[in-house]
Amino acid sequence: MLDLLQQIPTAFLFFAAAGIIVFLPHGIMRNIFMLGTPIVAGIQVWTMGMGEFATVPFFGFDLELMRIDKLSRVFVLVFCLAAFLGNIFAWHLRDRVQQVAGLAYAGSAIGAVLAGDMITLFFYWEGTAIASVFLIWARGTEGSFYTGMRYLIVQIASGVVLIAGVALFYVDTGSIAFENMELGSLATWLIFLSFGIKCAFPLLHNWLQDSYPAATVTGTVILSTFTTKLAVYALARGFAGTELLIYIGTIMAVFPIFFAEIENDLRRVLAYSLNNQVGFMVVGVGIGTEMALNGTVSHAVAHILYKSLLFMSVGAVMYRTGTSKASELGGLYRTMPKTAIFCLVGALAISGFPLFSGFVTKSLTLSAVSEGQYTYIWLALVFASAGVLSHSGIKIPFFTFFAHDSGKRPAEAPKHMLWAMGITALLSIIIGLFPNLLYALLPYDVDYKPYTMEHVANQLQLLFFALLAFAVIYRAGLHPPEVRAVNLDTDVTYRKILPSVLAYVAFFVAALFRAVTQYLNAFVARMITRLHHSHGPDGSRAASWPAGAMVMSIAALLGLALFVIFFS
Amino acid sequence: MATKHKETPESYPTLGRWMNWVDQPGNDRKIFWALVVVCIAVFALEWTYKKYAYFEYDSVTGFYALYGFVMFAGLIFVATCLRVLIKVREDFYGNKSIDIEEYPEDQIQRRDHNA
Repeated sequence: MLDLLQQIPTAFLFFAAAGIIVFLPHGIMRNIFMLGTPIVAGIQVWTMGMGEFATVPFFGFDLELMRIDKLSRVFVLVFCLAAFLGNIFAWHLRDRVQQVAGLAYAGSAIGAVLAGDMITLFFYWEGTAIASVFLIWARGTEGSFYTGMRYLIVQIASGVVLIAGVALFYVDTGSIAFENMELGSLATWLIFLSFGIKCAFPLLHNWLQDSYPAATVTGTVILSTFTTKLAVYALARGFAGTELLIYIGTIMAVFPIFFAEIENDLRRVLAYSLNNQVGFMVVGVGIGTEMALNGTVSHAVAHILYKSLLFMSVGAVMYRTGTSKASELGGLYRTMPKTAIFCLVGALAISGFPLFSGFVTKSLTLSAVSEGQYTYIWLALVFASAGVLSHSGIKIPFFTFFAHDSGKRPAEAPKHMLWAMGITALLSIIIGLFPNLLYALLPYDVDYKPYTMEHVANQLQLLFFALLAFAVIYRAGLHPPEVRAVNLDTDVTYRKILPSVLAYVAFFVAALFRAVTQYLNAFVARMITRLHHSHGPDGSRAASWPAGAMVMSIAALLGLALFVIFFS
Repeated sequence: MATKHKETPESYPTLGRWMNWVDQPGNDRKIFWALVVVCIAVFALEWTYKKYAYFEYDSVTGFYALYGFVMFAGLIFVATCLRVLIKVREDFYGNKSIDIEEYPEDQIQRRDHNA
């Protein structure tokens, strides 16, 4: 049985399950596939061992569909785990589109991670784009349709840039193998840009904050796991040790915290926060040492869990109240206490409190930065760590479940959501308590002790004094209030400015076109009138024409025809 | 969401009733002073171990505490200023965005806790 299973590329398991559930009725049978597929896939990858499997010839190329090594394995395992947890959360779902899209999306992301060559990578890369957009469209509103369109354009563009880069790379090197590359040629820059779009590099980031809040309650949980972490994996595989990434990652870690602080839609706050977390991972890839890459990978694992947990808790609130806006929420702990506690666990984990997963993973990256003696980068990242506390650690739980009482008294989240959140919270704590369980899965051997007196004391000082700053500011009434508003980000360029510039340009071009055609029409009309006036039947020139003018002109025409026929 | 029903903390779930402690009058001040005490305690940890400094300033006594406090306050100040620059009405992007939409009712299950 296991042997047979191992013949099938992991991604195809998901596609097959997605194909089957189309024909299954609602309910338990479909849910068995939703939960069973990630488990089976996880077991398959875990038992297969390292190596390259499933090589397929394709137009003269050998495509490697299954490259399992320590780097890809840990990503596949956590993707399977996240898909499993996300599907528990979505147990109530009766929407075939979302379920099929969810499986196809997870399958594509896993296929991309296991791709040993860049053509396979491209196919799955586009697969994630196409499958995931349905999680946004499934909301079924006009706004989600337009948002999905914007998302799809960006994601497909990333794939197009990727295949252009791969084609050039093949011309340059004669290889399509997906290995570590050096930035330099146009080909590698294009591939880098493509990864950067999916990774939400600064200025390329807005698709993330635009689209994730637009997806369905369950869709956002699934979305938050795959796309950006696939890009982090691709960067770790393709561009580890690229110094530029250190600076890009640092900007990514810092700038979103300001936006997150004043954003009203809590799912968008989490999207900014996701951006900031991925920044830490990108810095790790940029440093590229074994410790730094371990930091990136372990952070990705921990992040997928606690970020899912936070999206689940806000999703559960949305499921019960219909909104995820901070200005409309507050005081919900009274009747949703379990959700509140799970949210707090997620908040503690993402903020990096000792005993939680964020502490044992983020500190690996930070230690790699300090060992590399990147002073300003280190200062910026420590600041960003305090910033994480501000939006994900405080804002999300505080303004949803505590702060001023919104008067809303929603029922506790449904049982399956509580289970999903509970397991995810438990995993975040287990990783925090027993980091070696996670460290054992990392690509390189870990020689790092997170729980030294120094690490713990430093982190506690940073976090508690930041909390104190919040408490002082909040009590003084200086904290920016939660108000219904939208904040502009770089997407205003392509959502508002560019269209209005285009509208102006179109207006002028149209006006010019109209003026020129009107002038030409008038010119021709005038010419006809004048000719008719002078040469028409009643014109002055007509009086001097011989009567046989018509006969003569026909004779000339026939002569010309004869001439043409003779010489052709 | 029905909010006008007669309600008392007794109608909350057990856990919610316990957590309701935070909203009892005067307890916010207790929480604040507890936080101050914890801050003093974690600051005191400074003298319990020998610091290994990577850079010149992280060996300064209380560096993390000071950095955390100042940067956090700075962050909120800068974010507040940023809001003045970038805040626009919620319907700025009109029907091309989900910001002014209601979430479709058929996809959620609103329920009041004592309904």
